[in-house]
Amino acid sequence: MRRRSFLAGLAGMAGSGLVRPAWALGSAGRVDVAEIQLGSGTISRPEAWKRLLFETIQTTSVEAEPRVVQLAPDDPQLFEHPFAVLCGDGALPVLSDAARQQLFRYLSYGGFLLVDDASGVLHSDFDTSARRLIGDVFPTRPIETLASDHSVYRSFFLLKEPSGRIQLTHVLEGVSHVSTHPLIYSRNDLSGALDRRPDGSDRLPCTPGGEDQRREAVKLSINLLMYALTSNYKQDQAHVNELMREGRLE
Amino acid sequence: MTGPGVLEWATPQWACGLVIGLSIVAWVLSLWPPRPRVLEALCFGVALAALDWLLCGPQWVEDGDRLESGRLVVLVDGSRSMGVLEADGKPRGAAVADILERIGPAEVYTFGERLRSGAPAAFSDGDSDLGGALDGIARKYAGERLGGIVVLTDGIDRGGLRTRVLSGAVDVAPLSGPLTVYQVGTAQGRTDLAVDDVHAGSFAFLRAEFPLDVTVRGIGVVPGSVVVSLTRDGQPAGSAVAVMGPDGKGTAHFKITPDRPGRFLYEASVPLIAGDAVPANQQMGLAVRVVRDRVRVLQVCGAPSLDQKFLRLFLKEDPAIDLVSFFILRTGRDMNSGYSPDELSLITFPYQNLFDRELSSFDLVIFQNFDYAPYFESRANELLGNVAEYVKAGGAFAMLGGDRSFDLGAYAGTPIADILPVKLGVTGNPVDERPVVPRLTEAGARHPVTQLTGESADNALAWSQLGPLDGVNLVVSKAPGAAVLLEHPTLKGADGAPLPILAVSDVGKGRSMALMADASWRWSFSEAGAGRGNQAYLRFWKGAMRWLIGDAADAPVTVETARENYTPGERATALVHVRDVAYAGVPAAAVSARVSGPEGEQTLSGVTDADGVTRFDLPTTLRGAHRVTVRAQGRAGVIGDAETVYGVTTRDPELDEVEPDTTFLTAFAADAGGRYVGPGTFEGPIIDASAGRHVHDRRVTPLGAHPLVGVVLAASASLAWLLRRRAGLR
Repeated sequence: MRRRSFLAGLAGMAGSGLVRPAWALGSAGRVDVAEIQLGSGTISRPEAWKRLLFETIQTTSVEAEPRVVQLAPDDPQLFEHPFAVLCGDGALPVLSDAARQQLFRYLSYGGFLLVDDASGVLHSDFDTSARRLIGDVFPTRPIETLASDHSVYRSFFLLKEPSGRIQLTHVLEGVSHVSTHPLIYSRNDLSGALDRRPDGSDRLPCTPGGEDQRREAVKLSINLLMYALTSNYKQDQAHVNELMREGRLE
Repeated sequence: MTGPGVLEWATPQWACGLVIGLSIVAWVLSLWPPRPRVLEALCFGVALAALDWLLCGPQWVEDGDRLESGRLVVLVDGSRSMGVLEADGKPRGAAVADILERIGPAEVYTFGERLRSGAPAAFSDGDSDLGGALDGIARKYAGERLGGIVVLTDGIDRGGLRTRVLSGAVDVAPLSGPLTVYQVGTAQGRTDLAVDDVHAGSFAFLRAEFPLDVTVRGIGVVPGSVVVSLTRDGQPAGSAVAVMGPDGKGTAHFKITPDRPGRFLYEASVPLIAGDAVPANQQMGLAVRVVRDRVRVLQVCGAPSLDQKFLRLFLKEDPAIDLVSFFILRTGRDMNSGYSPDELSLITFPYQNLFDRELSSFDLVIFQNFDYAPYFESRANELLGNVAEYVKAGGAFAMLGGDRSFDLGAYAGTPIADILPVKLGVTGNPVDERPVVPRLTEAGARHPVTQLTGESADNALAWSQLGPLDGVNLVVSKAPGAAVLLEHPTLKGADGAPLPILAVSDVGKGRSMALMADASWRWSFSEAGAGRGNQAYLRFWKGAMRWLIGDAADAPVTVETARENYTPGERATALVHVRDVAYAGVPAAAVSARVSGPEGEQTLSGVTDADGVTRFDLPTTLRGAHRVTVRAQGRAGVIGDAETVYGVTTRDPELDEVEPDTTFLTAFAADAGGRYVGPGTFEGPIIDASAGRHVHDRRVTPLGAHPLVGVVLAASASLAWLLRRRAGLR
């Protein structure tokens, strides 16, 4: 059973989606995005994250709410939004003790933080300050390069490398906690590839790959959100075996 | 031989003096008034003298010593091994009577578990202890040199003497007489095929293969290979071949993979061969307790969500849980997004395998916001029926809320509805989206699933302080027999009772739980945000897991014995717990127990105490599997049934070894300086002619009681009285 059966399985799912009732429990519990605001150095791209949530709703079964909130790192409301992003292009300020402790608690108890470097240069003030910030939050855990078979590359789409508005690096980095990486660091300005103007057009061009590169960036963003929800689900033996059996994974 | 005699008086000397003194006074007074009456005085004096003789009790005493010949003491082995059939078809002990007759007069004792006087009426003792018997004889005849000590035995000694003699470590203590050992029974011509040992340890892990080895021992004409049959609780569990080696032993190897937890009795047996001397040693049992090493959980989720994320984190981080997750990442609604299937890492949902062949391999199945209809299609009723049957057979099932659960998942009218602790079939809007803080019920206050703290008052407070849930799935009401642990503070069900939010139920041998919400993750994350950590979430889910997959120990009615295996005669007690679905002990419940085993079947009855507990003493007389089945009945009818097994598995050691131990008996006789007499021959016992005992001999001849004394007394007294009357005196 290869592609034909796979399609049949998906087709089986199709019938249900059309007849599923519209009722749902409270929207407060659906997935949304919290933008962490640190002031100088951070930038807000709510349209980029709304695009991520919209694409997730359209592409996956995740019940997301296209809602983006801006929160300070020490705001208790952060625990209402388990998926958070920190995007910036300049030097970040040093975290207060309260903010550092809350971020550590947030990430230790199940929250997820995507750090997105929008500076577009390899040695940027953002990168330096972001690494310092990560080190402050996780003083005993180093930031590490994620392996090419990491779950984030297969949590929904099969990806070979991370994409973004630019192709600065070919890897993602992260900090591990127990068996997952609750913090992942992207250097390729992922939100820049997702960001849109009010009229729906893309705000920034993707280089050097153009729209194909943007498409891959969208896929990566969905994978990141899916990874935040399912963590290492795709490393479960049943999935690995099946993907390898179908020849879609080496 | 006695020496020369002496005269002694039976009456104390002072009494004799008093009697003689009074007699003299009486005689002098009889002469008053003084006149010549010689003959009367003489007769009266003779009468008084005869009376004094009688009262003083004179006796002739002769003292001396004599030597008696030494006694012959015979010790006869009364153990069950003496009942083994010999080649001629007669019990081994049949030769004892003949030997005793040839030996002649002797003081005979039987030894086995204890030493007792007389020859054995039957060979029924357990542990034959020859050393203990010799010690007993030494104490009984302390200080006496015996003419001889005779032992009649097959040499299968279990008291330690055999081990000491054969090891040569300890010299045999000097005996109080010369020893003669008669071996009873021969090694030639006997055939016996026995299960020598069953080895598997006393516990095994669920779904993990464990070895069970059966050692077979053969004597005489036995096959070169033996088929060993194995049963589990009386049901066939396979067979294996033991190839017999030159030492007469062989081992059959079994590989067993237990498919459910509990206590099971494995019994190995070998076939009965013609002329088998000891048919009773062809079986041997061993009780094995099967425990879970890891709890195997199937988490099926209709869509990734925050609730799914936190539950997976909890399940995945627990090393005691083997988690298999399947999340529906994409549905038919998501097909128009322009991505090719080759770009996706999705796999086909293997629902047919999961809910057909693999289902029984899971300890717990969780439907988390999962709607079955799109995937199960035409097999929906069959596969959901499999889940229901799996639960009734002892599995565990939990349904968690969401927009694909309960009535939103169209479970009403399906086999799943029959196992849920809530009634489905809500008409109209089946959800309430308003945030709600659930209220702990009375049942929830004591149920293990909802114990967040050790103290009940703190527990209710802890639940009230948790953050609100994001709405709930509505249900009609709780199902009959279910327990509601958390309830809605304002909404009512069709039965007028508060609407259940968390409910549990016993379903056949299994359990089910329903949480009508999809935001239990807030008990983790929101609590952590408030600085209270995620203990509430962890304790809730750990409690739920433990209860859902609980072994029989958490069932409404449980019966257990302290151990799996007992030795014959050891005291065993069954402890019966009776609880209601809300986990409270049921007092005054009538409990009947049926114990079936080699002793037959017996029925016991009892009544639970205030804690819902009662106890039964169990039989352990005979070796073999024993099954205890209990039923508890309350006022409303049957509360539940439970059963357990235990084994009396230390086989009768007297029958483990049937060959007479000639080596031991000859060595023992030699060490003691005695004589060994082999079977089928007779030679008299060694007698020590010089042995014996000095006996003090005393001969006492009473002289006072002689009839002549009475005659003299009567005649002289009468004559004196006549003479006195003739003289005109009174």
